[in-house]
Amino acid sequence: MDGPLISFHDLSVGYNGRPVLSGITLELPRASFTAILGANGSGKSTLLKTLLGLLPPIEGRIDAPSVVFGYVPQSIQFDPIYLLSGFEVALMGVYGRVRPGKRAAPSERAFARECVEAAGAGEFARKPFAELSGGQKQRVLIARALATRPNVLVLDEPTAGVDITATHAVLDFISQIIREREITVLFVTHDFTLVRDHAQHVVWLHQGRVLQGTVAEVFTPELIFEMGMD
Amino acid sequence: MGSLHQILSPDFLLRNSVYTSVLVGCACPLVGVFLVMRRLIFMGVALPQISSTGVAVALSIPLWLGFKPTDHASHALAFTGSMAFSLAAILVLAFLERRGRGQPEGRLGTAYVVAAALSILLLAKNPYGELGWLDMLKGEIITISNLDLALTAATLTLVLAMLGFFYKELLLVSFDRELAFILGKKVVFWDVVLYVLVGLTVSMAVLSVGPLIAFGFLLIPALTAHTLARNMRQFTGLACLIGGVAAFCGFWIAYQWDLPVGPTDVVLLGVFYGAGWAASRAVRRSS
Repeated sequence: MDGPLISFHDLSVGYNGRPVLSGITLELPRASFTAILGANGSGKSTLLKTLLGLLPPIEGRIDAPSVVFGYVPQSIQFDPIYLLSGFEVALMGVYGRVRPGKRAAPSERAFARECVEAAGAGEFARKPFAELSGGQKQRVLIARALATRPNVLVLDEPTAGVDITATHAVLDFISQIIREREITVLFVTHDFTLVRDHAQHVVWLHQGRVLQGTVAEVFTPELIFEMGMD
Repeated sequence: MGSLHQILSPDFLLRNSVYTSVLVGCACPLVGVFLVMRRLIFMGVALPQISSTGVAVALSIPLWLGFKPTDHASHALAFTGSMAFSLAAILVLAFLERRGRGQPEGRLGTAYVVAAALSILLLAKNPYGELGWLDMLKGEIITISNLDLALTAATLTLVLAMLGFFYKELLLVSFDRELAFILGKKVVFWDVVLYVLVGLTVSMAVLSVGPLIAFGFLLIPALTAHTLARNMRQFTGLACLIGGVAAFCGFWIAYQWDLPVGPTDVVLLGVFYGAGWAASRAVRRSS
């Protein structure tokens, strides 16, 4: 149980057979907070979608035995035409355990409610999801991800459209989840400062290159200069 | 009020037309809710027209082969053609939409206008067209037999049951495909289930009330309900209620003033939409 939770072996990811990133070999430690950092178009979302199984790898493989993903997408991607409350969105997290044609059992509904409370979304869970602020939506989506009973929480730009106070609140909450639930967190962002302040490990994507290590190892002045971030 | 008593009487000569009208009025908005949520409104316009082209093509086949089918065979052929064209169109158009290439509105507009023109061409070359086909394509709601009513009721009950039974799956796949995939749901399967239900409803509605009215019932009640509803239950319930009430009141008004039923229904739906929009604005201003 001490080995890495997820391993990428000489992985190439991209669309329609055209690689965006190639030769990625890396390991994600258990119960860690790893950030995938990169500018727009660097391939971080493509890598994430491949990890989640939404895109097939072009080459190589991903070993992720017995991993259950809890996925937190960008809150701005949801169409406000759906008249769902925050709780109804969070409840979708349990649907993986509910058979087609069946309703979520009271125990599953109670668990979803617990996740909503744990994510600090209890106050506004009854309000329409579309009318929540960016930070509130993120909390609901985190609750939904927790309701899947994950051992890996994957967050795609969780702070997009969220103000700075709410951003730090969301990331502090994620750090707390790692401590309390021993969940591995994989967090995709283009925000260098957020990674430096919150993450333990970094996978840095830049112009097809991949750097990885702890924050202290990767964020050296030399490497920052080399990656053009100074 | 005399005409209302007549319509409600079990001995009313056109009772099958009233029942069919209300059934279609209640069922179409339920699949229409999914079309509206998936932003497939143009699909709601094009599908009934394509479906009616399917009717015209299916009814042309016996003539091309040199025989005239019985009335029952004609109805069976019409339903098969309508269903086949609706399903093929919705599956192809939805697939192209998912690929995200080209111009979806352009494709749907082209499909709509070509389907409409093809129906007219097929009708023009058919010696029986003027006798019965035109009624079928226009949706002649006056001549509904007991068998037609039973078929419509059975089909729409099946659609209703499936929508109710698999609502959770259909909503999840519509709202967040990525989550559905990650949770291990068969996303393409549920898409196909929804499209088959839309195809069935559209085919039955087109045969019962015609393409124009089918389009009206598919989309306008759902759009009206969306302006008034606060949650999904209200959204679907109100859409169904608005469709049913419009269908019944439309029939009543048409019977009272000797108007064509279909266009009366659609105009009434338009009035409901306007009233719903005004009511929702008034509520927003006051809160």
